[in-house]
Amino acid sequence: MAPVPSTGLTFTVDGKTATLQMADVPIIDQPRWPAMDAETSPAFLDFRLVFTATDESVKYENAMQQYRFEGFKAKAQLAATVRVPSLDFIFKTDSLETSTCDFAVMGEEANGRYYEALKG
Amino acid sequence: MALDGVRSYKLNRRRWLGLGVTSALAAWLSDTRVDAQSATQSCAPPIPQNHEASNGGPCPYPIPWLDKNGNHNQPAMPNVELSSIYHFKGKLARCSGFHGMGTDNKGNRLAWGTPTTDYSYMAGEYWAARQAHQAVFAHT
Repeated sequence: MAPVPSTGLTFTVDGKTATLQMADVPIIDQPRWPAMDAETSPAFLDFRLVFTATDESVKYENAMQQYRFEGFKAKAQLAATVRVPSLDFIFKTDSLETSTCDFAVMGEEANGRYYEALKG
Repeated sequence: MALDGVRSYKLNRRRWLGLGVTSALAAWLSDTRVDAQSATQSCAPPIPQNHEASNGGPCPYPIPWLDKNGNHNQPAMPNVELSSIYHFKGKLARCSGFHGMGTDNKGNRLAWGTPTTDYSYMAGEYWAARQAHQAVFAHT
């Protein structure tokens, strides 16, 4: 769990682009995961993630599991820096524009008690 | 994290983008910006006083059939639950499977990304402790 700065999530006016930006997010470096006895090292992550919606709509719904997502396929790009102080290790990705993502969507979700209440 | 070529032991250890770490932020919503709210609130339910009902803690419910410790453990893909919060309505985006290149502090060029480099945000309303909460959460 990590707090996000007050400006951590922003949207363009048209709602088609969202930027999530966080700094010093506490994470763990666990190279032998998922081994039960895998050792961990504290690490920290700074990242900037940009979602841009396409015009291709999607709807994922499962009444048994009580969820409904409606939105658009998206492009997502990420730039990040990770630090593992105990190992004196720092890794910085290339610029955000050089990254690619296999799957991304953005939209609206309703699940649990809101699934039936918002059923359209 | 996927690495190319021969590397030192330390470099092979990097999995930082392959790990699921849930980040949370409570925040009020506006049209274009999300402002932080009690980000450090305790998830522990208050102890009922004077025979009051126990309403649970204010933190969100996890998805019942997924890892309740916060790791989603289900890669983002079509036709799966994309939220990490149960009893949630609002804006959501999710992505996984990044690919890219980067450089470490020794000048080594490394590839990064695995199918589990999974990020999301959830911005809206969730239900906990028998009341609605407005908040934003990020899963990294």
